[in-house]
Amino acid sequence: MAAEPVFEQELPVKGGDFRRAGAAACKIKALLKDMGFDQKTMRRAAIASYEAEMNIIMFAEEGCLSLAVTPREVRITADDRGPGIQDIELAMTEGYSTATREMRELGFGAGMGLPNIKKNSDVFRIDSKPGRGTRLEIIIRVNGRGE
Amino acid sequence: MNEKNFHAIHINRDACIGCVRCMAACPTRAIRVKNGKARIIDELCIDCGECLRVCPYDAVRSETTSFQDLDAFEYKVAIPSTVIYGQFGDATPPGEVLSALRLAGFDEVYDLSSICELNCAATEEYLTDHPQPRPFITSTCPVVVRLIQRRYPSLCSQILPIEPPREIAAKILRSVLPRVLNIPPEKIGIIHVTPCPAKMVSINRPASMKKSHLDGAISIRDIYPQILQALRKGQEGALMRHLFPDTPFSGIGMGWSLSGGETKGLKKHRAVAVSGIQDTMRVLDQVEAGLLRDIDILECAVCPDGCVGGPLEIENRFVAKSRIRRLIDKAGERAVVDPEEVSRLYKQNFLSFDHAVKPLEVSPLAPDPVRAIKRAQRREKIFAALPLKDCGVCGAPDCRTLADDVVRGRARLADCPFVKGKKEKR
Repeated sequence: MAAEPVFEQELPVKGGDFRRAGAAACKIKALLKDMGFDQKTMRRAAIASYEAEMNIIMFAEEGCLSLAVTPREVRITADDRGPGIQDIELAMTEGYSTATREMRELGFGAGMGLPNIKKNSDVFRIDSKPGRGTRLEIIIRVNGRGE
Repeated sequence: MNEKNFHAIHINRDACIGCVRCMAACPTRAIRVKNGKARIIDELCIDCGECLRVCPYDAVRSETTSFQDLDAFEYKVAIPSTVIYGQFGDATPPGEVLSALRLAGFDEVYDLSSICELNCAATEEYLTDHPQPRPFITSTCPVVVRLIQRRYPSLCSQILPIEPPREIAAKILRSVLPRVLNIPPEKIGIIHVTPCPAKMVSINRPASMKKSHLDGAISIRDIYPQILQALRKGQEGALMRHLFPDTPFSGIGMGWSLSGGETKGLKKHRAVAVSGIQDTMRVLDQVEAGLLRDIDILECAVCPDGCVGGPLEIENRFVAKSRIRRLIDKAGERAVVDPEEVSRLYKQNFLSFDHAVKPLEVSPLAPDPVRAIKRAQRREKIFAALPLKDCGVCGAPDCRTLADDVVRGRARLADCPFVKGKKEKR
């Protein structure tokens, strides 16, 4: 059997760039739609990638969403150079947030980001080094479990 | 033209000179200019009318109901959009506008503002009964419904399943008039007077019911001269004023055509109103990414400032808006609709969709996912080789769209004047 094709694309995200917030997630959504993925997969990827993108914009200096798509799964990796997460377990708690007041006033940082990503993915890995950066690995399978 | 691709907007090839204004203005990139003529890709068009606004050569034709079409009916009823009240000189009261519209060729004319108020009350009740999902999105603008069906299919389940006022009004009249007039239902024509061509789409290919209760939609632009003429016949006007002494214009419903007006009457729910096609798409992207969950209802209208900015209107929307605001103030906040009556209709499902809005498939790059992924890879390669000038000379609105067209077989790479001569890599 021939190897499955993999579509790969890197989408750089700049820390603090609220003006373009959501652009990378939109791009991922459009690509998945063009590749004929079902609505559920698309919606889950849209939500997960948006949250990952927002985390970079809100907390990191710079980062990148990498998309790798095969006919059976969507893999989104979010890498950033930023402060990292001190206590991952705490960060995974719904409602916990380190967002500043300004960010909250803009409607961001409700503390639902990471739990929301996890909820919308089939595989979710997080690796963070305080002071260096964070890496999220998100896998969404076609016909995976729903939200 | 197949069932799901009915459109109310067409290019008049004789008038089109092949400039690229419509192509550049199209928010869904549905227009290409080939061999000196614009062409609309059916599957991508959402009938928003942006092309109609920008074409200086009247080469974009909107297909609305004509006066001849009205002749098919023995009894003709008009239910004009409330934007009509903002189209005429300041001193013209709504009752007079309705009388003039009647003289322009109808047997009876009904005001829509009270039905707008009714819809608002029903929306309040529905939102209370359904705490999830959030936000619901209003269905009044047929373009928003089409946009969601095609571009945001996962949001179909968030469309508020209550018919817009024009359909509710027609449904009420349809059930009452044949009995009252003793005329068979098919001989009664119920016609909307519309500020946009998109209503023709929701009438001819309704998304939430089998058959629309309306028989057509005549454009304000087409009927404006007749109304104006009727209004100018001064003495008759004075007489006419007495024909509608009791029409209870609703201040709550009167503002329906202004952005925010659909949800202004909601007392218990949080609403956000968006207007304009670009902003609507931006916000729907956010909703699809899981945002705005703290909002109960999202009011979207693709025309700037709401229906008052419709492409088939005569008066500029700023003046029309100001006039409508004054009418709202004059009518006050007094409810003209009996809440108990609304509740009864709501509970009978008289106001609800017959069926949920279903997504409309937009073709992926290939039906088979393996091939689709390969094509997406190829599309990126082609795109990387393009000049990124988005000049439109190739006949596509921008370089990304040309790359897409090439992999879909709609265009050739050689259409780009900057890569001419180079061989397309397979």
